[in-house]
Amino acid sequence: MSTSAAPSAFSPAIATEHLTRRFGDLTAVQDVNLRVAPGQFFGFLGPNGAGKSTTIKMLTGLLAPSAGRMQILGADFTENPVEVKRQIGVVPEGMALFGRLTGAEYLNFVGRMYGLDRTTAAKRATELLEFMQLTDQPKALVTDYSHGMQKKLALAAAVIHGPKILFLDEPFEGVDAVASNTLKAMLQSMIDRGATIFLTSHVLEIVERLCTHVAIIHQGHLVAQGSLEELRAGVQAQSAAALTAAGGTPGDAYHSDEKLTLEQIFLRVVGGTRRADQELSWLG
Amino acid sequence: MSEQFSAIAQVRWHLFVNSLRTVRGRLELVARGFMFLGYAVLAIGGSVGLGVGAWYLLSHRHAVWLAALLWPVFLFWQFFPVLATAFAENIDSSNLLRFPLTFRSYVLIRIAFGSLEPATAIGILWSCGITVGAAAAKPSLIFVAAPVMLTFAILNILLGRTIYAWIERWLAQRRTRELLGIVFFIFIISLQFIGPLASRFGQKGAPVAGRYAQQALPVQRFFPPGLAADSIASAFHGDPQRSLGGLALLGVYAIVTLWLLNLRLRAQYRGENLGEGPARRAKAAGKTEAAIGWNIPGVPGPVSAIVEKEFHYLLRSGPMLFTFVMPVVILVIFRITTTKSGATGGILAHAADLAFPVGAGYILLILTNLVYNSFGGDGVGVQLFFLSPVRFREVLLGKNLAHAFLVAIELVLVFATACFLYGPPSLPVTVATVCGVTFAFLVNLAAGNLLSMYSPKKIDFGTFGRQRASGTTALASILIQMAVVGLCAVALLMARASGKIWIASLILLFLIACAAVGYALVLRRADGVAQDRRETMITELSRA
Repeated sequence: MSTSAAPSAFSPAIATEHLTRRFGDLTAVQDVNLRVAPGQFFGFLGPNGAGKSTTIKMLTGLLAPSAGRMQILGADFTENPVEVKRQIGVVPEGMALFGRLTGAEYLNFVGRMYGLDRTTAAKRATELLEFMQLTDQPKALVTDYSHGMQKKLALAAAVIHGPKILFLDEPFEGVDAVASNTLKAMLQSMIDRGATIFLTSHVLEIVERLCTHVAIIHQGHLVAQGSLEELRAGVQAQSAAALTAAGGTPGDAYHSDEKLTLEQIFLRVVGGTRRADQELSWLG
Repeated sequence: MSEQFSAIAQVRWHLFVNSLRTVRGRLELVARGFMFLGYAVLAIGGSVGLGVGAWYLLSHRHAVWLAALLWPVFLFWQFFPVLATAFAENIDSSNLLRFPLTFRSYVLIRIAFGSLEPATAIGILWSCGITVGAAAAKPSLIFVAAPVMLTFAILNILLGRTIYAWIERWLAQRRTRELLGIVFFIFIISLQFIGPLASRFGQKGAPVAGRYAQQALPVQRFFPPGLAADSIASAFHGDPQRSLGGLALLGVYAIVTLWLLNLRLRAQYRGENLGEGPARRAKAAGKTEAAIGWNIPGVPGPVSAIVEKEFHYLLRSGPMLFTFVMPVVILVIFRITTTKSGATGGILAHAADLAFPVGAGYILLILTNLVYNSFGGDGVGVQLFFLSPVRFREVLLGKNLAHAFLVAIELVLVFATACFLYGPPSLPVTVATVCGVTFAFLVNLAAGNLLSMYSPKKIDFGTFGRQRASGTTALASILIQMAVVGLCAVALLMARASGKIWIASLILLFLIACAAVGYALVLRRADGVAQDRRETMITELSRA
């Protein structure tokens, strides 16, 4: 029985087997089998309502799966919730902020909830506030922060205990370019030190730039998973096969030097192209 | 323009209909129905009362005092809407500016939709009441009273909109709403003292008040209520010139107010916002050091952190702080209230020993909302309790400890107040009261923990009137309080029958032991219940 949260040499950082979640008659996530290796910067993509947030909520303990298994760092989440939670940091959909605390009080509180002693929690809170450039208004309550500031605070709270895995639900939404760069650098340095990051974002350029591996969920099903190169090759092979079946030659599909962007891969995988007759003719 | 008017009306209608989709929305409608009834009673009752008042003053040749009727109407009309905003989130109607509205449409929409509020309807009905009352005293007066009161009403509507337009952005800020809420609460608490103080000092104070009123009469005539009253009174006394002059000046006031409103709205229409100064940002002088958290001896770090967090929340909540003051206020009110027999020493004068138990009982009542909806103030923050590596029983323990500290502080305060006002209660009564509170508190905590997980409701610690728990919780808490009070009463009756008050303490100690076992059982089950209820809790508490 795996009671320890410490990963074995071969165990993935995140692994799910037939992970399923139903809400009444609606199956939001079905049979999702994810594998994220330690140290990966993993992008989890999907159109609106595809099941991204539901999956991330199950992986972080905010939602119970209807069926299937989840392992985080080799430990079964259901059997060892407290041990697993100690190893992960999360920026959930609602950011989990306490509006009537100041930024420093909030970080201090989160640090202590994750088991840091009082002095360490206060020291790290101070460092994180400076790093995130949130020291301008020390007396301001979190509820009075701008959306971008709240996002930065939520990120600071997610890393205060030095997690081995970081789950981020839309971390760059509403964050200005300067802060976004700082955050990207911070996340990259975490990866360099061996942490694993599991991120959802609608900004595919950011995912393409940061993530080494990607999974795409569509209508509750995992439709693609692998490194960016693997996904690119898969899509190109599919297109070539389709073209061959239509009577063309595979070489017509793409020029050999043409490299598909993540957006193109995503649109092809989820079938997001719009027909010409669906255009709004009255638009200027 | 009519399209834009109907579009806004339609949006408001859709917002209303959509709000009825949820059970909460339907319950809210029922609550609004009761509020509407309250407003209707206030409007109709006030209208009849003011009408009768106007008739009486005029027909008994006291026309000079007509202003005493118009001033309350004026003050209510202007102040009630501003104070009422302290109870609700404000919609910034300058958002309309992103649509292609002409300035004229913008002004009309702002005046028309902004005036759809109870104060306007009540004010108009009250003005009608005064007009009818004046006409009843002297029928020919209708030709003066009607235009005067119509101008007075228009002026009030315009003035209300003008004040609102100037401070609209200011009110949209949380701190200002909280400040106004505190002013309102001080006002409400002050009202509690009027009765007792009037009965105590009424005889001596009357001549002084009369003298001040006489001095104020000439000055108040230049203000809208005084002007309107003077215009009607002059017509009644057969001085048409002065009456017309008053009406004309009232009209000038209305035009000046409209000009001020126009000034403000035009500036807003052009994209300025005069009501909101540049955001003041307190620049940190140097490095911002996060203070080291609380350490409660013998209590684990996460539990201490939760206690600290709860105290930060409570100390920043104006409404909660005022609630905590109430047990002391109640004892003071009891002390200064004169009994029917005229005895000094208040209504507890002959049972001074009861002051401490009464105050202690009140503490438990005011804590009900807090204990039975422990996560209500956390909002989306509740997610953190499920994300962090802390068992839910520890989270509950932290919250319960904070509430227990609060009860202890309140008990000390009430005890000190009771000692100061009524003399120290006897030792058996003190012990029995402390035992009773401990028993009741433990039962409330056990039940409150369960209901906090089974029936959570988001509350806003900063806004007045937003601390009510769900209907289910309220009903359950009432039943539990009744059972607790019943058991305590049985203990006291048994002690009284035997003539030994300490027997009550013994019985209550036994009940404390039972309650403690129940509380421990609830805590033991808390992790499982929280896991089962986490989705509902997060959904309910994360609602916008």
